[in-house]
Amino acid sequence: MRNPLRPTRRVHAHCDIPCGVYDPEQARIEAESCYKIIEKYTASSDELLRARCIVVKEERAELTKHHIDVLWHDYFKPEHLEKFPDLHETCWKASKAASKVKQTTDIAAAKELLGLIDRIDEMWKATGGPEKTRLQAVAA
Amino acid sequence: MSTERGRLRPLSWFLLRSLALGTGVAAVAYARRWLDVVEVQGRSMAPALLPGEWLLVERRTYAHRPPRVGEIVLAADPRDPSRELIKRVTSVDGRAKMIQLAGDAPDSSTDSRTFGAISVSDVRWRVIARYWPAERIARL
Repeated sequence: MRNPLRPTRRVHAHCDIPCGVYDPEQARIEAESCYKIIEKYTASSDELLRARCIVVKEERAELTKHHIDVLWHDYFKPEHLEKFPDLHETCWKASKAASKVKQTTDIAAAKELLGLIDRIDEMWKATGGPEKTRLQAVAA
Repeated sequence: MSTERGRLRPLSWFLLRSLALGTGVAAVAYARRWLDVVEVQGRSMAPALLPGEWLLVERRTYAHRPPRVGEIVLAADPRDPSRELIKRVTSVDGRAKMIQLAGDAPDSSTDSRTFGAISVSDVRWRVIARYWPAERIARL
């Protein structure tokens, strides 16, 4: 029987788990895929390959956007914003650039996206990201 | 005579008992307007509060005065209002009527560092005590 003293209301001493692992490299790799795919798309006249390029590029661009958003929402904290006043602007632009890469086959958009991710990477590094959010050594 | 008494007694007993029962139900119903019990999920309030612990909470105090630094409160998650957070008050800005919340375990807490200050009016419940597990019964 259910314990009548047991509360039905749950309150969250919440964390987004968190695994606490963040790295802009994740976004960078997906964005590089998009860049390369656009190159291949432009160079090819094979309709099947071109169609596949579009499908995979949209998928990768969406992943890029997701990784950018996770860094933006979860990794960066108000003290980071104080240090880098352009933090919000950069993440916002990067998210938008990822959308543009998803929608178009414009190589310039893919280049812009990579540049913005690199800027995010600088901020991640300057706020101690590599030491704080990546495993330094994994015990066997 | 005895028959009449026999009839009267059950009636008075019935009345008395329903009165007592009614008073009890009304008292509980009245108390429930400002008292409740909740179960903790997550580790962000460790070691003060651990997952699975049962707490007594009340919402009378904050009808009269704002929360104070150090108190443990319940607040709607600004990012998902259907979820209730349990956190400690770390600062109160009486003028702006905003408060900052934080978990006791910063490494596993998503709190005001992520979602910023929240409005005093969003905090209604104060944690009074833990009543389970028995060996950790305590006023909070």
